[in-house]
Amino acid sequence: MRFSILLFFLYKILRWASKHKPAYSNYIGSIHEVRIMIKTADGKHGRLFIFDKGAVSSRSGARQGYDAAIIWSDAGTGFRVMASRKDEEQFKAAAAGRMKLDGMAFFAQWFNDGVKLVM
Amino acid sequence: MASINGGHLVGKYLKEIEKIDIVFGISGGHLESILDGFTEYKIRTIDVRHEQAAAMMAHAWSVYTGKPGVCFLTAGPGFTNGLTGIANAYLDNAPLVVLCGRAPIRDDLKGALQEMNQIEVVRPITKWAATCHDIRRIPEYLSIAFRNATGGRPGPVMLELPPDILNITVDESLVPMPSRSNPKYSVHPDDADLKAAAEIINNARKPLFIGGSGVGFSRCSGQLEQFIEKSGIPFMLMNYGRGELPDNHPLSVMDMGNLGLFFSIGQNDVIIAAGLRFNWLLQFGKIIPPTVKIIRIDIDPQEINRNVEAHVGLVGDTGSVLDQLTPLVKKNDHSAWMNTLKSAGRSLLDYELRMRETASDPIHPIRLVAQIQKFVGDDAVYIADGGDTQYFGLAGFMSRQKAGVVASAAGLLGCLGTGIPFGMAAKLARPDKKVVVLNGDGSFGFNGMEFDTMVRHGIPVVCVINNDCAWGMIKHSQELSIGKDRLQCSELGLIHYEKMVEGLGGYGEFVTKDEEIVPALERAFASGKPACINVMTDPTVTSPATPLFYQSLKM
Repeated sequence: MRFSILLFFLYKILRWASKHKPAYSNYIGSIHEVRIMIKTADGKHGRLFIFDKGAVSSRSGARQGYDAAIIWSDAGTGFRVMASRKDEEQFKAAAAGRMKLDGMAFFAQWFNDGVKLVM
Repeated sequence: MASINGGHLVGKYLKEIEKIDIVFGISGGHLESILDGFTEYKIRTIDVRHEQAAAMMAHAWSVYTGKPGVCFLTAGPGFTNGLTGIANAYLDNAPLVVLCGRAPIRDDLKGALQEMNQIEVVRPITKWAATCHDIRRIPEYLSIAFRNATGGRPGPVMLELPPDILNITVDESLVPMPSRSNPKYSVHPDDADLKAAAEIINNARKPLFIGGSGVGFSRCSGQLEQFIEKSGIPFMLMNYGRGELPDNHPLSVMDMGNLGLFFSIGQNDVIIAAGLRFNWLLQFGKIIPPTVKIIRIDIDPQEINRNVEAHVGLVGDTGSVLDQLTPLVKKNDHSAWMNTLKSAGRSLLDYELRMRETASDPIHPIRLVAQIQKFVGDDAVYIADGGDTQYFGLAGFMSRQKAGVVASAAGLLGCLGTGIPFGMAAKLARPDKKVVVLNGDGSFGFNGMEFDTMVRHGIPVVCVINNDCAWGMIKHSQELSIGKDRLQCSELGLIHYEKMVEGLGGYGEFVTKDEEIVPALERAFASGKPACINVMTDPTVTSPATPLFYQSLKM
């Protein structure tokens, strides 16, 4: 539950930043329809973030198409690492096999770099 | 007294002083006596179909042999056709010696055939460019050319030789010939800097060594092996440095790929970057947090603090710097850190690793690469040329050969079309090795005609086209930036390149299904001919290099 709530608030923050934070709105800028999924490996929790020409929208659920996905082994790990906002924790999770990327991996990094501009 | 003409003097110097056995170019009237000089002194000529390929082959020759490459360009259009190859060598720091024809000096300003100021055109993309005006000074000018091409940071040079000196004779005894080639010299870093670097290395907990083309041009596998095995530091070799130690070396983290490097580079506490520029491909070093200590080794002092300030800079040839540094480094074991890097890499590349093992319809480019690798093995030379294609080639090919995996179009010029010339040079330099060029369909068009050169000269390279019917990287970048409904000049359609190669006397195959890949490779190698396997791949697949490219141009 905490993981899903965190994703929901992340969406709200990114949506707000896309309208009020020039650095972020410039960052996501004119990019055409990139879909980033953050979900758990079992598909029980997830949220899709859609970036399209400067707008951010989102849908809950893990069973939607995406360009890149950040997949957490479980909701607890996802919450802990994302809430820490530390690259090191994310790297450790990857090294431990608790975080994997799917699809266009570069966009996962792009998404994370964008989040750093906002937080 | 024996007399000799200027062209023969060129051949004599190349053969006897520089031990040049092979040169690349296209014939031309202005060069006639040089061509005869090649015959006289038994220098093999590879005559190509476009001068850019000659310059690119000579550049590649330097990569695969460690010796300077020589190309010859006739005056005017021969010269201008060669410019792309010269510019590419300049940005790649390759020791390329260009011998160029020229309109007669006698006819300057009269409107002579192919009269143009070639020197001023080429000067910004060479280390040195000059015209020789005196037949007796031809050996001296050639010596200066080779000295400039190979001394310090290597690079291309051009010597213009007009008919006024090529097509006359001189008493051979009046032309002094150097007794030997230019001596090699090296620059060494300050002892205090070496000690400072060693202290950082000895205290590192999570270090990474990254080597670039400077490692390759230094030919320093022995010194590198000693340093790596004593320090225990995991390493990744890039550009022309790749293969100086084999990709499957126990301390290599090559399998985490550039993507893994990007994600993990900030997690190291020390980075030793040798012969590697922090250019746009490394986002000008911005991906390295200030907390990471950086030791830079470079032959060019200008590189040490370029874009990112190094904690310690060691100026010198990589091999000789490592010779001095290794005795100061303590024996260490960083295998736990190496395993962490590799594990992280596997998670980050999870998708690609799965796609390599999965047959798909249409064929995924990384699956194509994996199938080629499985059939050809790691005792081969691979070249990848294209946009997305070079990413998949770099990520998927593994070799035990020096410069065994080169993305010829991934240099600073981003010079598509280099794959086939590099493949030809690789096969000539290492005739006993299989050579595979993975070409994008777009980039194939630039030098596809060189299959005629391969057929005439018996150079059996196998070229596999990753055919997405488009300038894929540009197309996918346009999809991101201007939208899928407004693509412009980025689609090519289905073209049967293999038929063109068959028409030129080579071997061709057209592949659309996964299970056809390996049998086609078997037949292509068995043919003994230059071969083209035209493989239709998934046009929707975008490599991670595309958004990196897209982001780099975003203002």
